[in-house]
Amino acid sequence: MIVAEREATTSREREVMLIGRARAGDRIALRELVDAHKDRLFAFIWRMVRNHHEAEDICQDAFLKAFASLDTFSCEYRFSTWLFTIGYRVCLNRLRRKRSFTGDLEFSSLAAQDEAGSSAALESEEAVRVRNSVWSAVDQLTPPQRAAILLFYRNDFGCQEIARVLQLPLATVKSHLHRARVRLRELLEGLPDQDWSSFRNLSERAV
Amino acid sequence: MRCEEARQLFDAYLDGELAPSLATELGAHRVHCPDCRRSLALLEVSGHIISSDRDPVSVPEDFSDRLLACVEVREHAWPARVRRILYVAGPIAAAAVIALAFLGFFDRGRDTLVAGVKVEPTHVEAGVTASHSIAPFLSAQDREAAERAIDLWIEQMQSHKAAKAKSGDSAQEPSDLTILQVLEMLKDANNNAPNPLHFPGADPNEPFGPPNGLPVDDGDVEDL
Repeated sequence: MIVAEREATTSREREVMLIGRARAGDRIALRELVDAHKDRLFAFIWRMVRNHHEAEDICQDAFLKAFASLDTFSCEYRFSTWLFTIGYRVCLNRLRRKRSFTGDLEFSSLAAQDEAGSSAALESEEAVRVRNSVWSAVDQLTPPQRAAILLFYRNDFGCQEIARVLQLPLATVKSHLHRARVRLRELLEGLPDQDWSSFRNLSERAV
Repeated sequence: MRCEEARQLFDAYLDGELAPSLATELGAHRVHCPDCRRSLALLEVSGHIISSDRDPVSVPEDFSDRLLACVEVREHAWPARVRRILYVAGPIAAAAVIALAFLGFFDRGRDTLVAGVKVEPTHVEAGVTASHSIAPFLSAQDREAAERAIDLWIEQMQSHKAAKAKSGDSAQEPSDLTILQVLEMLKDANNNAPNPLHFPGADPNEPFGPPNGLPVDDGDVEDL
C-alpha cells in the first residue's frame, strides 16, 4: 500500500471514530470535526453567496443540521461530502428566498472583491485583471454550474462525488461542468492576449 | 483532427479522463490550431486560478466556539419534534380560544343572573343593551322597582322562548330584538309591576337619550 493510500485510510478511520464519539455526545470529537471542515465549507459557501455574514450563518446552519441528524449519516461516504450536501441545500434555499424578494439575482453586480490583491500583491496589472475576470465570470454561472466548478477545482471532488453533493445524476453534473466551461470561455474570450501572457508558462506546461 | 472534434474532447481532457491516444491527437491539433490553443489555454488558466487562488475571506476565529455553544443550547432545549408541534399547535390553540370566547363558549356552563334570575346566553345581549339604556336615569330608590321590572322582562323573554319552541321558527330570537322592541317589553313589564316605575324611554313616544347630554355612567350596569 502506498503512503498516500495508507494516510487516506488512516484519516478515514479517524473520521469514522470521531463520528462515533460525536454521536455519543463527545464535545471534543464535535470540535475536531468542525475544525477539520469549517475552512473548506465556509470558503465554498462564501463563493456561492458572496456575503461574509450570510456565509457564516449558512455554514453554522449546515453544521447544526449535520450534527442534529448525525445518526442518519452513513459512514460509507465521506463526512465532507455529506456536510457539503447539506451546505449546498441551505445555500440554494437562501438564494431562492433572496431571488423571491429581489427578483433574479445578478451575480455580476455583486462586488467583485479584490481576489488578486490577496493572492499576489506583486503580480502584474494584467494578471490581476485576468484573476478578477475569472472570478467575475464564475459569479455569473448558475448556482449548480458554480457549485460544480468550485467543487471540482477548489475541493478536488470527482464528478461522482459532486453528483452526490448536488444530488443530481452523474450525466447532469458533467453537463453542468461542460456548460460552465463554455460560459467561462465566452465571458473570458474578450480579454486581450497580452493579459493572458502572464500565465503562458502555466498553460504551456499543461500541454 | 478538426476543431469541432477537438472541442468535444476539451471536457474529458480537462477532467483527466481522455484516453492517451486521443490526448496525443488533441495535443497535435493544438500545436497547429491557434483558436483551439487559445480556448484550451484559457480554460486551463481559469481552472488553475479557481483551484489555487487564496480566498480573500476566512472563517472567524471563534466560529467553533460559537457553533458548539449553539449545539449546547439546542441539546438543552425541548426536542425538535416537540418544538415543531408547539410551533404549529400554539397559534391554533390561541386562535381557538379567541374564537370560542367570541362564540360565548365559556359562558355556557355559568349561570348569568339578573335580579336573581338565570338568563339564557341569547338573552344577554338584548338585556345588557336595555340595562345600559335605563341605568343612567335611575335614582337609588327606584333601583328596586327597576330590578323588579327587569325580573318581569326576563320572565317575558323566557315565555317568548317557550312560545318559539312551541310554534317553530316563527317567533323572533331574543338576540334579534331591536332596542325599541326591548323597551316595549320593558314598558309592558313595568305596567304589570306592583310599583310602576316611570323611566325615560319606557314610552316609545317620548324622546329617548341621556338628558342634557350627560355622559352615560356604566357604573350601575355592573350591579345588574
